[in-house]
Amino acid sequence: MPNSPAPHTTIPGPCTVVCLHFLGGSAREWEPVAALLDGVARIVALDLPGFGDAAAVSGYSVAAMADHVAAGIAAADPGGRWYLAGHSMGAKVALALARRAEDGAPDLAGLAGLVLLGGSPPSPEPMSDDKRREMMEWISADAETRRRKAGEFVDQNTGSPLGEPLRTRAVEDVLRASPAAWTAWLRDGSREDWSRRIGILRMPAVVVGGTEDADLGTAAQKALTLPHLAHGRLVALDGAGHLLPLERPEAVASLIAGLASEEPLLKSEAPTVPEPYRALIESDRVNTRLRAALLARAEPDGSADRPVYLDPVELAQLRAVVDRVLPQDGTGRIDIAAQIEARLAAGTGDGWRFAKLPADGAAYRAALRTLDAAARSVHATGFLCLDGGEQDAFLQAAAAGEPLSHEVPVDGLDAEEMTLWFEDLRSDAVRIYLAHPASLARIGFSGIGAGGDDAETLPGFVRVGIGDPEPWESSALQKSSTLGETGR
Amino acid sequence: MKLDAMRRYATTDIVDVVVIGTGAGGAPVLARLAAAGLKVVALEAGPNFDPARFAFDETLADEIYWTEERLSGGSTPEAFGANNSGTGVGGSTLHWGAFTPRADERDLRLHSETGMGVDWPLGYDDLRPFYERVEAFIGVSGPSQYPWDPGRRYPLSPVPRNGPAQVMGQACDRLGIRTADSPAAVVSGDFPQEGGALRRGCINCGYCHQGCRNGAKTSMDVTYLPHAVSNGAEIRPDCRVHGIDRDSEGRITSVIYRHDGVDHRQRCAAVYLCAGAVETPRLLLHLGLANGSGQVGRNYMGHVATQVWGTFEAEMRMNRGYPSSLISEDMVRPDDADFAGGYLMQSLGVLPVTWGNSVARGRGLWGRALTEHLNRYNHMAGIGINGETLPCDANVLVLADEVDAFGMRKARIDFGYSSNEDRLNAHATRTMTAIWEAAGATDIWVLERVAHTIGTCRMGRSGDSAVVDPHGRSFEISNLWISDGSTFPSSLAANPALTIMALALRSAEAFLGHPS
Ligand SMILES: Cc1cc2nc3c(=O)[nH]c(=O)nc-3n(C[C@H](O)[C@H](O)[C@H](O)COP(=O)(O)OP(=O)(O)OC[C@H]3O[C@@H](n4cnc5c(N)ncnc54)[C@H](O)[C@@H]3O)c2cc1C
Ligand code: SF4
Repeated sequence: MPNSPAPHTTIPGPCTVVCLHFLGGSAREWEPVAALLDGVARIVALDLPGFGDAAAVSGYSVAAMADHVAAGIAAADPGGRWYLAGHSMGAKVALALARRAEDGAPDLAGLAGLVLLGGSPPSPEPMSDDKRREMMEWISADAETRRRKAGEFVDQNTGSPLGEPLRTRAVEDVLRASPAAWTAWLRDGSREDWSRRIGILRMPAVVVGGTEDADLGTAAQKALTLPHLAHGRLVALDGAGHLLPLERPEAVASLIAGLASEEPLLKSEAPTVPEPYRALIESDRVNTRLRAALLARAEPDGSADRPVYLDPVELAQLRAVVDRVLPQDGTGRIDIAAQIEARLAAGTGDGWRFAKLPADGAAYRAALRTLDAAARSVHATGFLCLDGGEQDAFLQAAAAGEPLSHEVPVDGLDAEEMTLWFEDLRSDAVRIYLAHPASLARIGFSGIGAGGDDAETLPGFVRVGIGDPEPWESSALQKSSTLGETGR
Repeated sequence: MKLDAMRRYATTDIVDVVVIGTGAGGAPVLARLAAAGLKVVALEAGPNFDPARFAFDETLADEIYWTEERLSGGSTPEAFGANNSGTGVGGSTLHWGAFTPRADERDLRLHSETGMGVDWPLGYDDLRPFYERVEAFIGVSGPSQYPWDPGRRYPLSPVPRNGPAQVMGQACDRLGIRTADSPAAVVSGDFPQEGGALRRGCINCGYCHQGCRNGAKTSMDVTYLPHAVSNGAEIRPDCRVHGIDRDSEGRITSVIYRHDGVDHRQRCAAVYLCAGAVETPRLLLHLGLANGSGQVGRNYMGHVATQVWGTFEAEMRMNRGYPSSLISEDMVRPDDADFAGGYLMQSLGVLPVTWGNSVARGRGLWGRALTEHLNRYNHMAGIGINGETLPCDANVLVLADEVDAFGMRKARIDFGYSSNEDRLNAHATRTMTAIWEAAGATDIWVLERVAHTIGTCRMGRSGDSAVVDPHGRSFEISNLWISDGSTFPSSLAANPALTIMALALRSAEAFLGHPS
């Protein structure tokens, strides 16, 4: 796994947390959090271009905002390990910076984790056109309307009314924002599609959503942001709306402190190959080419964080489907979805496809869209937000050739196509699963031991009859393959 | 195989014959013509492998499958790739199962017998001498007494019966169904290959479909091809044929192929097209060649290859041993048949990836039901059939609109069972289920499956209704011959490769002007 953050040391003294505010907010929104973290973390809250004290600064695209923040970070000289907290609009900027950091930008070295609060996702933010238009209209209206609407804006975005002076200051922040910056975010920034550029980040991340946040609550975070974080953790704040640092400073502060004290996650775990089976692999009953292949398959999947064909959300959806199709118990897991993705990216096939389906990659994407659309139509939430039973119901319908919901998305698959695709998926998944030495050990497969390198003197099998294992088979496969055993 | 010391020809040499494809149809032709002193060059799209490098692994065996995409349509779409299509020097015999029943005499005149299907333009007596020659040359192991053809003798003693074969044998005994050790093109002991190297006896590794590492299994690269090379044939791997030149009379003058991204032209006096029942018609359709009959691509057939699986209390460890070591020909004409033709049965041991694929794709298991079933791998055994498929108008190979990396249109194959196949399949499913019930199996389930690629350039007596004559010669282009599974007028119940080899030798004899 290419994830190799600096070796963990217990944080010596306060670490730095760079904080980015929401649309209409400013650096000031972090003051309650900063007060709570006094002595634990040094809070560097920055104004984004067009907001707060930077109202006169221009450059409103996500990239321009990220440049602006990068300069602010350099000036603040965080040193050592530091963290980035982003709220709403600020979260998207934080994600863009995290991508730069993982790609090795020297000015961002040391970034060790993310806290995303009601974050705007890398993909275009879900918001109705009506709401967008309305917000763009009143920001340039007369002073009276502006003040009234700013108040409504703050109130609508909190789970319960903010106390004073927080509310007044929040309204003031909205009013001192540059209307151009405000409009630019609504019209462009929030709709910029960064999902492929951000890809999947490896740094630890805490993704926080308020349960009363209509557009960017936990469901949206789970469906749209979490898929971009290989080591992301979702936290729901009960009763909170969208203005989390103002509404829940204690919770936010403790999440920040918690992240900063966590062990960095180094690797996603691969399933363990039991010792006797590993010894068989290492023995001279197994040929060199096969041994190398089996040991390579036993390594965690290096490609898992770099999807090429699917975007990170699609990959997360595929992982969810594969988890239902081939549940893996125990600690480690084979990242089957990532391997399917790699095959789709390479464009290699197995020699045929159903004439009724489009090319493999297109079929996979259309199928995932169909599942997600069905989830949204039936449960009003994305496929990723469904529980296992609800996901299974859609897969059962696909297997049975029944429509998943009333309308099939135009770029989706119809019921018959879904059946064929689901058949292909099961096949892809099981073939990857059974290529893994841990799976072969689990099913009690001894065939890998048929012989080593010298083709002239292969031992093969002497015993081939019923209930007659060779002694080496029994020892390599201890405790596996008993009839009725249902896996671990 | 070793090719470093072989004779080589210049592309400007007018060789006697270019053979396209080195599988079951191409290799015997190449060997026979080379032995007759002809200048022959084989062009093979796939690579040349060193069998010792095959690795006892299903995933690593992907290299020997033809994995360029084909489109499968029809009511029972057929899987290609690992299911039935190989590539490389040796063609599909690199990964075939080497199960070598002969055709049943009655299957060759099915129409006369039943009014259904077609008669072949040749009879069993035409084939028998070639069967015997092939079996002796490639080394077929089999029972000393073949219950369905008492006069038949196999050159080598049978390979051991593995778990599935033993349990199926016992159950068939109980039901009064006759079984025998399978005829298998696997040498049960060390075998000095005529024209080639010593082939080691079978070690019961069970990886026949992934490429045999020690030459025990007959594949063309350890049998006919070394023989051909020792007689001066040249084999060019990684050479994909995609065009031809013809003279004013329509005769082929050279074959165009791509090697390492560069096109070459081999001049020649004649061509043997042996690219298999999908690539042969695809090439002919692509080139608009030899299709005056309109038959190219028509009557595509796969065998009905349904399997029935069961779980056993005892450990079968079905990966061990030659995978299909028991045969029954009792159902080639069952008494209670309500269909024309019949089917062979064989015991089955299948490796995990192939078997798991059947469980997930074919049986449709997923979730816990899937993983729990996979965990019982060592307790599984299967029976499979190979059943007659009648030629049918709806089953055709055509060129799709999509093109491949060579700019050639992909093959689209529509295949579906007609009522005869449905009835045969129902009978076979009942029979196999009864056998597993008699064997005490639990959790018995049926895997619907289609195997092999057959037909599309049928042989016949007239150029109006057939592509080639009974010796494989094109009715239209006098120096074009076809030798592969495409020339079969009907599928036969028998697995095809032994018959393809026998027909190949017969065709080569005719090419050489020998009466047969
Ligand atoms: C898994 C499996 C198990 C099988 N088991 C059995 C069995 O037990 N018994 C049995 O009888 N049969 C079996 N078969 C079927 C048997 O292998 C085939 O019927 C037989 O090999 C077909 O011979 P062929 O000459 O028609 O084609 P192939 O053997 O497929 O040879 C065709 C060759 O042509 C080459 N080629 C294709 N296009 C071009 C081109 N344009 N230019 C150059 N070269 C080209 C290909 O690369 C290939 O090497 C099995 C097949 C498979 C895949
Ligand atoms: S079982 Fe025998 S014939 Fe088959 S691959 Fe192994 S050694 Fe070769």
